[in-house]
Amino acid sequence: MITRRDLIKMGGLTLSIMLMPAGYRLLKAEEVPKRYAPNLWINLSKDNVLTVFVNKSEMGQGVYTGLPMIIAEELDFPWERVKVQPAPAGKPYVDPKMGIQLTGGSTSVSNMYEILRLAGASMREMLLASASKKLGIPKEKLIAKGGYIIAGDKRYTYGEFSELANKEPLPEKPRLKSPQEFIYIGKGVPRIDVPEKTNGKAIFGIDTFEEGMLYMVVERPPYFGAKPLKVDTSEVKREFPQVEVFTLSSGGVAVCGDSFWTCQKARQKLRVEWSESFVKGWKDKDFENFFLSKLKDKGQVVKVKGTPQKAYEESPIKVEETYIQPYLYHATMEPMSCLAWLKKDECIVYAPTQSQTWVLESAKRISGLPESRIKVITTYLGGGFGRKANVEFVAEALEASKKLGKPVKLIYTREDDIKSGYFRPYSATHIKASADKEGNINSLSFKIAVQPLLNGRASVEGVENMFYAIPNLLVERVDVELPVSFWFWRSVGSTHNAFSIETIIDRIAYKAGKDPAELRLKLLKDNPVAYRVVEYAMEKSGWSKNFGKGKAVGMAYHYSFGSHACHVAQVSLEKNKVRVHKIVAVIDVGPLVVHPDLIRSQVEGAIAMGLSMALKEQVSFKDGGVENTNFHAYQILTAEEMPQVEVHILTSKREMGGVGEPGLPPTAPAVANALLWGYGIRINSLPIRL
Amino acid sequence: MYELKINGRTYRVSAYEDEPLLWVIRERLRLTGTKFGCGMGVCGSCTVLIDGKAARSCLVPVSSVAGKEILTIEGIPENHPLKKAWIEEQVPQCGYCQSGQIMEAYALLLENPRPTKKQVIERMSSHLCRCGTYNRIVKAILKASGGKT
Repeated sequence: MITRRDLIKMGGLTLSIMLMPAGYRLLKAEEVPKRYAPNLWINLSKDNVLTVFVNKSEMGQGVYTGLPMIIAEELDFPWERVKVQPAPAGKPYVDPKMGIQLTGGSTSVSNMYEILRLAGASMREMLLASASKKLGIPKEKLIAKGGYIIAGDKRYTYGEFSELANKEPLPEKPRLKSPQEFIYIGKGVPRIDVPEKTNGKAIFGIDTFEEGMLYMVVERPPYFGAKPLKVDTSEVKREFPQVEVFTLSSGGVAVCGDSFWTCQKARQKLRVEWSESFVKGWKDKDFENFFLSKLKDKGQVVKVKGTPQKAYEESPIKVEETYIQPYLYHATMEPMSCLAWLKKDECIVYAPTQSQTWVLESAKRISGLPESRIKVITTYLGGGFGRKANVEFVAEALEASKKLGKPVKLIYTREDDIKSGYFRPYSATHIKASADKEGNINSLSFKIAVQPLLNGRASVEGVENMFYAIPNLLVERVDVELPVSFWFWRSVGSTHNAFSIETIIDRIAYKAGKDPAELRLKLLKDNPVAYRVVEYAMEKSGWSKNFGKGKAVGMAYHYSFGSHACHVAQVSLEKNKVRVHKIVAVIDVGPLVVHPDLIRSQVEGAIAMGLSMALKEQVSFKDGGVENTNFHAYQILTAEEMPQVEVHILTSKREMGGVGEPGLPPTAPAVANALLWGYGIRINSLPIRL
Repeated sequence: MYELKINGRTYRVSAYEDEPLLWVIRERLRLTGTKFGCGMGVCGSCTVLIDGKAARSCLVPVSSVAGKEILTIEGIPENHPLKKAWIEEQVPQCGYCQSGQIMEAYALLLENPRPTKKQVIERMSSHLCRCGTYNRIVKAILKASGGKT
């Protein structure tokens, strides 16, 4: 674990970023109060290497590239000399806006942009000041550029002055570059993690080892909500006397042995009797009926404006629909995996986690050790999508290590992974909407029955806060209780709500015989940013010539995680199979584009996941448990089904938005709307089945 | 005890007879570039080459590959056109499936050094990538093979 002392020992120029009550502050290493540690360390070594200790998890979104790039920009430093280290977990690394150390909500770059620039600019000025003293040349005659201090025809590396610069005071108001001077921001740099991910050298959670470690798999109940009642290990013990079997507080049964394959063989001999559960015996239809029945319950009113019922009754155009959207599995390509070693006075956890804080909490609870004795090492994440912010798997490994007194590496098989749950919640939605004869929507009543995340905030995400100017609005939610575990899933609430709202808009337009893009423009007239996003999507997709009744082109717009996104999908039906040819995506991310290719790749990825959700994905049930327990049956999008994707990035003067999630929600409704206009097909449940 | 030839080196390793090659490579020999994804040959993350042919190492019992030439991601030189194209096209996001993708592409180019875009897409559709890097994968393979992207 990196401590303040280590950093001071490293030599060179070291700065830290720390959250104070008044916001972020830049501090010199020795100014960091002893009992505290900063949120981020930055070190420029004597041999001219910039190392940034990043407090975020790299799960493919490029955060190991985006954050250091901003520092390197202001420092004016060569990218190939920048290194990244994951910061250790602990209080100092808590994300100030979230209060915990968590990577999620598409917030990483937007929260830290300004302070990172300030850090780079300060280092640059400190280097100039110290170089000026050492060389006896006035500061104004020196140039700091590309990792070198240039004095006339001579040049010196920054590293040569790093120790001296460390003695300089922090500049009060370092000069920030003007956008014209940017070398990286707005242009981008190669991703720092790509070479090792191409060479098979990147270390994920599953790739960690400790000498003498045991392996562990976890047997789970065949249906949700059950606990082990009786565990018969007699057959296991006969064949594998060394294998340990015990129950975990998660409700799983741990099987630990000297190799992964030993565990897999041993678990075949395990006999477990499970308790009853409310959903035992349930099939897909039972879930559907249950959620539909919940829609009849009295809901909590989240938002009400005007008189939606009256407007509905008096309007010439009315639409009423009920939607069903299934549980979705994250399908991270790396299943849950963790190596934990709980020693007498120390605890080490290697985890591909999105939440170091919750890992730390689990470790404290299970080990009884103070935070200072716990070391959490964040590995690369083989996919996160929200799932790896849940730390139940980490707790399982910790419990096993505590019991066995050895390092234990837990690996979920694919079947274990999907059976462990924590799905994107199932939902049933009822919508009544009305419009005048021009198709202008004048009322919308929205009611959703769903298991509540974030105290129900996620249930109505993207509806309660939408920018459409609808004069009469009612938003209600019914909180559903079921023993199927649920969790965040790339843009979670917006996934199901964008689908229902965006398809309703097109149903109204279809009934009124109006252009749904024009209709959206009218509804967004009070929000110039949203308006421009839709307008730009029309322009870039050639909307006026491509769209029309009988042409399978569809649009959807959605605002989530601070960014506006509008997609136009070109679709056709081939032998009753939906084929998506092209998606034109427009995203407005706020004041500036930090790294265009990171944004593009995030939007491409979000579209792939959104299409997968639209066309293929559904956790299906048999006897109250998951029926499709591996990729042969829980199918996700393949290369053949991937459309051409065109990403256009817009900026606007406002707060910076996220990019990891906002590209997903408009995908499925854009495809469904294309089917409506092209073929008159109405999709009320996902995945699309024709 | 099995004698395995991996990336031109000989390893002696003890394992169960029915133990999939994947787990021997990854966990016993610690060549962790080869990844576990599904354990049933569907996702392609564990792809290696056995005597020049792409194979899903999660389905291959270790006892069946004695004496055969096994190639993993670690055995492909860093300056290989595929790896270079992968970096130039900035293909990986989370990166977990990429070793398998590259191994499949490598096997494809051995069989067919100039595949068409259609052939590339068809072949690579047997590999899953949850981050959605498919279009970049196709582009990188075509680039590495000198084909039209």
